[in-house]
Amino acid sequence: MSKINYIPFLSLLVLLSFSMATHAEVKVFACEPEWAALASELGGEQVSVFSATTGLQDPHQIQARPSLIAQLRSADLLACTGAELETGWLPLLLQRAANQKVQAGKPGHFMATEFVRLLGMPKKIDRSQGEVHAAGNPHIQTSPANILLVAKAMVARLQIIDPDHSVFYTARLSNFTERWQAAMTKWKALTRELRDMPIAVQHNSWVYLEDWLKLNNLATLEDKPGIPPSSGHLSQVLEKMQNQPAKMLLLASYQSDKAAQWFAQKTNIPVVTLPFTVGGSEQATDLFSLYDTTFTLMLEAYKP
Amino acid sequence: MNWQALDVSIIGPALLAGLLVIATHVPLGRAVLNRGIIFIDLAIAQIAGLGVIAANVFGWETDGWQIQVAAVSAAMLGAVMLHWTEKRFEKIQEALIGVVFVLAATLGLLLLANNPHGGEQLKDLLVGQILWVSYSQLWPIAILYAVVLLAWFTLDISKRHRLLFYLLFAITVTASVQLIGVYLVFASLIIPALATRNIRQNWRLLSAYVVGIVGYASGLVASALWDLPSGAMIVWCLAIVGLTTATFCGVNKLEISHS
Repeated sequence: MSKINYIPFLSLLVLLSFSMATHAEVKVFACEPEWAALASELGGEQVSVFSATTGLQDPHQIQARPSLIAQLRSADLLACTGAELETGWLPLLLQRAANQKVQAGKPGHFMATEFVRLLGMPKKIDRSQGEVHAAGNPHIQTSPANILLVAKAMVARLQIIDPDHSVFYTARLSNFTERWQAAMTKWKALTRELRDMPIAVQHNSWVYLEDWLKLNNLATLEDKPGIPPSSGHLSQVLEKMQNQPAKMLLLASYQSDKAAQWFAQKTNIPVVTLPFTVGGSEQATDLFSLYDTTFTLMLEAYKP
Repeated sequence: MNWQALDVSIIGPALLAGLLVIATHVPLGRAVLNRGIIFIDLAIAQIAGLGVIAANVFGWETDGWQIQVAAVSAAMLGAVMLHWTEKRFEKIQEALIGVVFVLAATLGLLLLANNPHGGEQLKDLLVGQILWVSYSQLWPIAILYAVVLLAWFTLDISKRHRLLFYLLFAITVTASVQLIGVYLVFASLIIPALATRNIRQNWRLLSAYVVGIVGYASGLVASALWDLPSGAMIVWCLAIVGLTTATFCGVNKLEISHS
């Protein structure tokens, strides 16, 4: 009878339990893929990230799946856009998950729009203006400058939630900031010729991109999401295009292109379908490639 | 498969909501099927939504219970109207219900064109999601449905009181649509009734309840295991359970011998 040598097993066990202890990751529940991507950039192997929506879903509304409740229940950090983007489902989900760590007011409740200057704030809110976002336009991820502001704030939160790895997160942030600033310099140079370009948009999803590239938004096809535009509004848009044609119409890849194609046929203005977020196109696999693709697509369609 | 989501605290409230809906919708659905007016639930739900939009347009700041008052009032008005059309034009009642549904839906769009704030409320009214239901929401529904069931079985409404049938239906559906959405309400009304209509009279109601309960339970479990939207999954499980029941309870034989 041979005696079993327990030492390798024991040491393996010790090693396993050790590695499990050090891998008590911060669980991040991201409402949109851009914040999931940012959390992975900043948290590295210290975080595990779940995204509630994909790049091709409308973040305004999602179908309730059991995993959403299960994931939020065990999350340490909820990373969402805020500014009323998720009002259709997040309050209900928070209530059902009943996770104290991520309720409003807790460090685990992170709303990206709280850390950037919001555009599209209505001067006065009245009913005639349609489905305006009273809190301002929530689609902040269309500007690279905003990503950096959100990154700083997100790292501060990660350090509160996981103080043991504070130094680690600081290092990740400075590494990310360096790479991001280099990329922004590159993108600025690349898009110089797009400055002051007149554009039209399907829906007001691009105000931050317009602000960053200094584009000139002439017309919006669908003022009110979900409500088809009136014929009067569309003829106004067409008339405007005759006097001052836009160079392109911007459309997010998750939106239906029906109205945009109609517009393109009437005006011969090209429709540019942009990824809008990480995963919104095959090329947009992370935050860097998101903007690489966005600007490449715009430059390809641009004729001076 | 995702065993983590198979958790009573996650699917429990949804299951309870389903049981409450099944309790009232199975008997209502049998009456609806007998009368051949199966799209009445869609029409009533749409009219309830229209009530909320109209309240907004006339400048009534709707919020919380006021929305419910607007929705239920509109639904009951619709019920009274449909009761009248049934008396007056019995043969074309189903077609009229279809027309009413389309008119209510499109009138909503016309009203919203200049007043889009009701849009979100309309969406909330029509696309309730069963998984977001919490226990505290279910108390008022449970009390309401207890009253509905008591009235239904003590007054023999399906045969004797037509107007009361329409009114009870309006109240029940206005509540259930907000809780679980239009698709599930339709499926809960029609599928158990359809699957059991050739079962012997004494067993019919009981077996319809069983189809409903098994459908909801299996749908929720499947949705948890494969992480798919719960409402849609329950509709499919109800259909599968219904089809199985119908097959094993001799629908085909009876169907053929009748014709």
